[in-house]
Amino acid sequence: MKDAVRIQQEDFSQDEEIRLLQASSKRMGGIATFLGCARDFSEGREVSEITFDAYGSMALSELNRLRSDAIEKYGLLDARIVHRIGTVKGGENIVFIAAGAEHRVAALEACRWMIDELKQRVPIWKKEITPQGDAWVTPHP
Amino acid sequence: MIKVLFFGPVAERIGNNSLQVEHRPGIRLQDVRDELAAQYPQAFEIVCFAAANGEHVRDMSLPLADSSEVAFMARFSGG
Repeated sequence: MKDAVRIQQEDFSQDEEIRLLQASSKRMGGIATFLGCARDFSEGREVSEITFDAYGSMALSELNRLRSDAIEKYGLLDARIVHRIGTVKGGENIVFIAAGAEHRVAALEACRWMIDELKQRVPIWKKEITPQGDAWVTPHP
Repeated sequence: MIKVLFFGPVAERIGNNSLQVEHRPGIRLQDVRDELAAQYPQAFEIVCFAAANGEHVRDMSLPLADSSEVAFMARFSGG
């Protein structure tokens, strides 16, 4: 069984993650998901690919804490988070978050909260590779 | 020794992913930061967060044990 929280180079399957989430409880009445993808255009420039650097051990422990916090805060039945590192090409998947709850509101709010918190708390950095050169991304508020 | 880790934009400005700082009794996280910031001012311009042994640290007066692992990090941009 794949861990509920992972950092990995390879792509992931949204269907598989949702199936694993759904299998964790038959009380689940709502599942909300967020998929973050690599854009091929940013700040007026074409982006050919994005590379990610991470403080791997800390990022994984922060993601696990984020999942536990979300489960407790929103009363979720389960949640899953997968983030890719390494090189991701335009149009490919970066991050997947899924929240499962008895009802839709908790699932939707928890999903939004997790991606917002991930950007604040988890030590991962992205660099955009463009024909004009490479640039580390300055986070948007 | 204290192991200092750098990632992403900070590592690029320092030109290295890690450095060692000699441990001395009473040394605090702020002391390590001050020492390295004097050597690598451009890198430390973008440092916003610090960690010790894999945990976020907000109180820079944290005393560091020998063999601690610390990190000075730029704002995160994952997701």
